[in-house]
Amino acid sequence: MPITILAPKPTRQAHSHNGHNDDDAMSDSGSDSSGAGGDDDLDEMVSAAAAAGLKSQRDSKYEIVTPGEVITDDPQWMRGHGTYVNPATSAIISSVAGTVSRTNKLLSVRPLRARYTPEVGDLVVGRIVEVQAKRWRVDVGATQLASLPLSAINLPGGILRKRTETDELQIRTFFAEGDLLIAEVQQLFQDGGAVLHTRSLKYGKLRNGVFVAVSGMGGGGGVVRSRRQVWTMDAANGGGQIDVVLGVNGFVWISKHVETPEGLVEKAATTGITNLEESVSATMYSSQNDRIEVDTMREIARLRGVVIALVENGLRVDEDMLIRGYHEAVEMAMVSADGLDDLYLGGEKGEQLAAVLTGI
Amino acid sequence: MSSTQHVLLSPAELAYLHASLSLTPPIRPDGRSPSQFRPLVAETGILPGTNGSARICFADGTEAIVGVKAEVERTRLAHDFDHNTFAAGSRLEGDFVEGSYAADAQVDAENVNEEQRVGDDDWVELTVEIPGYRDDDPGTVFLARMLGEALLADGEFARKLWINRRFHWKLFLDVILISPPLSYPLPLLSLTTHLALLSTRLPRLKSEGDEDPFFDDDWAAAPFIYSRNSSNSSSSSSSTTKDGKTSTTSRPPISLLVMAVGNNIIFDPSKEELAVADVALAVSVGEAPSAAAARGKDAMDVDTTTQDGLQRNLQILSVRTIDPPSRLTPPGVPNATNSAYGAAAVVASAQKQPEARAAESEAVEGVWKAPRGGARARVMAALVLEVLGRGGVADEVMDALDGVDLV
Repeated sequence: MPITILAPKPTRQAHSHNGHNDDDAMSDSGSDSSGAGGDDDLDEMVSAAAAAGLKSQRDSKYEIVTPGEVITDDPQWMRGHGTYVNPATSAIISSVAGTVSRTNKLLSVRPLRARYTPEVGDLVVGRIVEVQAKRWRVDVGATQLASLPLSAINLPGGILRKRTETDELQIRTFFAEGDLLIAEVQQLFQDGGAVLHTRSLKYGKLRNGVFVAVSGMGGGGGVVRSRRQVWTMDAANGGGQIDVVLGVNGFVWISKHVETPEGLVEKAATTGITNLEESVSATMYSSQNDRIEVDTMREIARLRGVVIALVENGLRVDEDMLIRGYHEAVEMAMVSADGLDDLYLGGEKGEQLAAVLTGI
Repeated sequence: MSSTQHVLLSPAELAYLHASLSLTPPIRPDGRSPSQFRPLVAETGILPGTNGSARICFADGTEAIVGVKAEVERTRLAHDFDHNTFAAGSRLEGDFVEGSYAADAQVDAENVNEEQRVGDDDWVELTVEIPGYRDDDPGTVFLARMLGEALLADGEFARKLWINRRFHWKLFLDVILISPPLSYPLPLLSLTTHLALLSTRLPRLKSEGDEDPFFDDDWAAAPFIYSRNSSNSSSSSSSTTKDGKTSTTSRPPISLLVMAVGNNIIFDPSKEELAVADVALAVSVGEAPSAAAARGKDAMDVDTTTQDGLQRNLQILSVRTIDPPSRLTPPGVPNATNSAYGAAAVVASAQKQPEARAAESEAVEGVWKAPRGGARARVMAALVLEVLGRGGVADEVMDALDGVDLV
């Protein structure tokens, strides 16, 4: 069936008519509220909160507030992220559109959609959108373009080489418009703009894979900061090894894992370079893909489908979730009619996948 | 927007996408099969103030609404004289007296023959609105023309708007994309327009002949402009549809966006896929009048059978080439000529003159090169087969659209 047409879903009843309706749909184990243990706790908490003077006509726990909406005027609550207090009054007002979350006496609003706010040390995936005389402007999904100075990249031919005027002239041979790169936030400006650097052999231009942006997800979904943002995993079905880069900014890169490019080591040896680091840095600015097997491409596409399915169902994207989701997707494909070539994970299959992942 | 909308992708990404889409079967980045559409949510009758309306929402968040409004308009009399074939004796020259027209109408009232139901393309006005683009933006105008052209291509649609010799319906189709155009919105807008027209109803005509038109107040009695079952359209009391003859089409056409990479035909491409397309085509498919099919005039007709055994004669109304954004992408630099790559770079090439980006180079595996040339004959043949063939894509899409409840 090439096309599926669904009837529109009825809008979620924020103000429930008959007690509590579909609790499971948005249950988010990664919620930062302290009472995320069980629904009952939360319900008690909310009813306690309602009794304490929060807008009492709302008995649903998934209340959505809009910017400027008064959340409470009870002075016992403290304001958290996404809220502000008018100096004249003690009312806590939402500054974003999102869901209210309470941690003890702290009220905060988790935005439904948010742009990435850079922080020093974040690993990000970015796309060059502009080339200037001595720096690049990089789209990292933040409110402003980040900048990558020419002095903050590894120049080919040795990490410690001095930047020359020739490098400035051939700035486009390193990164040109549209190129994807992995970098780290080095410094922040007052206005929130970020300065990036790629002075590590782990960073640099990206190739041999696909890109997917899951940025803009507030409250629970999308990429979250975690212990490991970059890892290599074994793909099922003879797919070889796959590299996954989860940029903190929500840009995800999935590519074939490449060891030191073949041929380069020998070439480097003939030119008298024995330092592997230098030869690795030499391949950093290639925009030519290596040969990629069909199996690897198929598994990369499957992994990309898992990322999208996770995001569409409001789940967080991290290493654990993605690997579990991937194995689940492989198993789902095995039992499906088309076998392993069944890659599609949208619509119902995505929901099925999410249900399995949250059920555990 | 539109064809020239630039999607910024790196040469390495483009090369990867092109390679995976050229495989047999192609591996699409979102895992769909080549002829699979993105799942969509559709509903009709969302705007109470219109004669017909529909909303379609793709899973990627693009959403469109279409409203159809009808107005009664006086037909230009000169136009009547040009097109209506009166008997030579009764033909009036110069100024036209209403009284004599009424007398004329009494004669013809019972047997209004087909030739007198003439339509004019001006009776349909279709406008497209894309957020963030001027309404005279070439892309928007092109989209509107493409949708309107397919609609009027069979010449039947405008004739449905005929009331009598003095009046006709004027139909205004407002096609509005609500979301930003994440991908080329042609299939979305076309499907939404299709649904809106299917749900369009015009008030039932109570007056007879060439009187000033007078309509039934009862909206429930208003007939659909496209009657749902074409086989017994003769029984419908519609004043605007044909009497007796089944030569009318029972549904508006649909326009599909199709692209080709290598020898693969890919339907409903996403933005990324379109960015590596060798060829992008807008194919309008309509249901051929069965009379035309019987005459066998159109060689492209392929008879298909729907589940309930009805014949569905599909025909391609138009195929338009859309300039794919892939043509504007910069080429990748092969490692061999990359001055920042490999040993060449290691041996401090600082003295070497910076080479301009290699504009022309041989095709190297793994290096992106913008496609050249148009659609090949083989691709076109495969396309026609995919679209029109038994159980083909157009058939499936129309079946799926049949499943949408009309409000």
